[in-house]
Amino acid sequence: MAQALAGVKILDFMWAIAGPASTRILADYGATVIRVETTTRFDAVRTVGPFQTGKPGLENAGLFYNMNAGKLPVTLDLSKESARDVILDLVRWADVVTESFSPKKMAAWGFDYESLRTIKPDIIMLSTCLMGQTGPRAKFAGFGNLAAAISGFFHPTGWPDRPPAGPFGAYTDYIAPWYNATAIMAALMHKHQTGEGQHIDLSQAEAALQFLGPALLDNTVNGRIQGPVGNRDQNFAPHGVYPAAGDDRWVAIAVENDAQWQALCQVIGHPELANDARFATRTARLANQEDLDSPIADWTRQHDMLAAETQLQAQKVPASALRTMKELYDDPQLQHRQHFVELSHPQHGTTTVEGSRFKFSRTPAQVAGGAAPTIGRENSYVLETILGYSEERITELVAAGVLE
Amino acid sequence: MLNPYRVLDLTTECGLLSGQILGDLGADVIKVEPPGGAAARQLGPFYKDESDPNGSLYWWAYNRNKRSITLDIKTEQGKTTLRRLAKSAHFFIESDMPGTLAELGLGYADLAAENPALIYVSITPFGQDGPKASYADSDLVLMAAAGPLILTGDDDRPPVRLSVPQAYPHAGAAAAAAALIALYESLQSGQGQHVDISAQQAVAQATQSTLLATPLGEADSQRMSGGAKLGNIPIRLIWPAKDGHVAITYLFGSAVAHFTQRFMNWICEEGICDAATRDTDWVGYGAYLFGGSQEAIDDYMGLTRIVEKFTTTKTKAELLQGALDRGLLIAPITTSEEVVASPQLAAREYWQPVEHPELGQTFTYPGPFAKFSASPITYRRRPPTVGEHNTEIYIDELGFTAQQLADLTTRGIV
Repeated sequence: MAQALAGVKILDFMWAIAGPASTRILADYGATVIRVETTTRFDAVRTVGPFQTGKPGLENAGLFYNMNAGKLPVTLDLSKESARDVILDLVRWADVVTESFSPKKMAAWGFDYESLRTIKPDIIMLSTCLMGQTGPRAKFAGFGNLAAAISGFFHPTGWPDRPPAGPFGAYTDYIAPWYNATAIMAALMHKHQTGEGQHIDLSQAEAALQFLGPALLDNTVNGRIQGPVGNRDQNFAPHGVYPAAGDDRWVAIAVENDAQWQALCQVIGHPELANDARFATRTARLANQEDLDSPIADWTRQHDMLAAETQLQAQKVPASALRTMKELYDDPQLQHRQHFVELSHPQHGTTTVEGSRFKFSRTPAQVAGGAAPTIGRENSYVLETILGYSEERITELVAAGVLE
Repeated sequence: MLNPYRVLDLTTECGLLSGQILGDLGADVIKVEPPGGAAARQLGPFYKDESDPNGSLYWWAYNRNKRSITLDIKTEQGKTTLRRLAKSAHFFIESDMPGTLAELGLGYADLAAENPALIYVSITPFGQDGPKASYADSDLVLMAAAGPLILTGDDDRPPVRLSVPQAYPHAGAAAAAAALIALYESLQSGQGQHVDISAQQAVAQATQSTLLATPLGEADSQRMSGGAKLGNIPIRLIWPAKDGHVAITYLFGSAVAHFTQRFMNWICEEGICDAATRDTDWVGYGAYLFGGSQEAIDDYMGLTRIVEKFTTTKTKAELLQGALDRGLLIAPITTSEEVVASPQLAAREYWQPVEHPELGQTFTYPGPFAKFSASPITYRRRPPTVGEHNTEIYIDELGFTAQQLADLTTRGIV
């Protein structure tokens, strides 16, 4: 069975998380992705954990491998004059070129969309950066934590009496991949229908704002600013993260309807609350939610978080233990879904990445090659087999420092 | 881009975004709601804070570029009508618990039998199979089950959620990407398939790969006030300014050392650090810090105190201007109101006016997720009112008579 995107060719200059995570999705489903990096300035995610063995190292790069598994890693120094012809040959090969440099950088190298379309008229090019290709803050650089801060994701995350907590990590870097991948696929559909390529300008901040839609409309329509509310919810109560037995152990519980409320009262041994008018409806529970925290926490404190999850879920109450990152590896659901995929690695023997986050019934995902994307692993394959370069030509490129 | 394609959107609040993305890209999206309207219309916030199925801003946020019909798919006539619609549809998107629609004879196998090219997308909390497939869920529960929740918040309080729901948007956006991959494949094969989206797995992306700690042999990451512990390393991300807070990427190593150098130059110019500190090898400092020795962590904590001393002398606006002028990794922590007033978003004409004739008003909506040079996204339809397109779809397109539609309405099927 051919893979879904067999024959789709992507030349990928993106780096860090948001860009590479999107072409990772397409690679999982069969696109051929040539991932260009340079040894003159390694991708930032090769120098940030998680690291294999827990120690920093360019080839201990768990985060980089997870973002780039299944691609063809090659090293090319774009700033070298003689890299130019190699890049242009790769553009002629590609259906899609992706880049996430700061705006104008590709133009400075002569690789902007207007230049590339002169050699490949139907090329699709995705340019993605934090704030978009135009506007007074176009050159505002940074990672997804900064886009998240400036786009309003930190302010509603935390406690009313404390500084903002902010969502974990480079948050908008985890939203943008869905939109980058979707945008590339939509442009491929447009090309299929019309023969026409195009340039996509995807601002990570603008894409991510889709995920704040209700709060943004609450401001533009009602003039309200949604701020920090801890773990409260505007629609549901009780709704919180409650202490479980043990040190720093927690269970999340969210009651969304009356049936779940009735069930919760039984599980926590307070059947009388089920008949208490103060909590009889969703509106009533929201109004009186302060009174619910103690009876729930008194019960959760006496239970192991996994046991609490099991007991609550057995009665159809939405609940989950908060496993640590190390414990998530043993999550029976993630294991069942084969979320973790082993790849071969020349130094470590094997390394582990996440698999596709969804399943196709007929053309399933796979990590092409089954090997970690180590530095320059596919230089020879790309230059000899894809571009058909001679041995002499490749020797010249090495001597000119192009393959660095 | 997707103008030739029709989407039947049966999703609950768990999948609304997927149909909207396909609608933004030009597809004809028909939102199929139970008579009386989808349960998601009960979710606030509400227009003028008045609970009304046509005034839910949660609904507005995720249902533009869709048409709405009402149909009770639990009735025989409802099932027949839905099957008829599915015969000519390209996508069928649903977010009921696994097996629910199959019990009604509306599962993938049932619909594919009559339309083999149909792409049937199921969005569920934990996927179609596995020990938690039938778990009760919510946004908070999924943020817990997928990992991001335990990584977020002050270390002396419970982990804390981003209070605007995120789990279902992740699942919905993943579903849109997956649906288009399956569509592309169907152009070659003429065959559809069943696409199975797990919200847990989609949201797990937001752990920044730290959930690989066990197989990689890495330390656990943890929440921390003002930042997070990546493995053993306490990374400070949030700093106080004179008038609020800013986020700063204060990291080291070859990819970011030049940003940190420029930042330290500024701090030094203002007399808050000495030249020797300023001239640290910021490339090598990355491996030093991530090496994880106590000495390195203590040294880094000293640096964060210097940065804090500096940021508290400046306003958020001064720090942002400095970041723009000097090329630094600093962003102000911004409210929704400030986002709406952003000069960058204004310059890019991001915000879109959307007319609501039923309310006699025009509202400002978040704009398209990307700018396409050849086939731009347009907002053709405001989010539909309950069953707004019943006549248009049942009579004009399916060929029901007015009498038939009236009959279905009387019987509570439409």
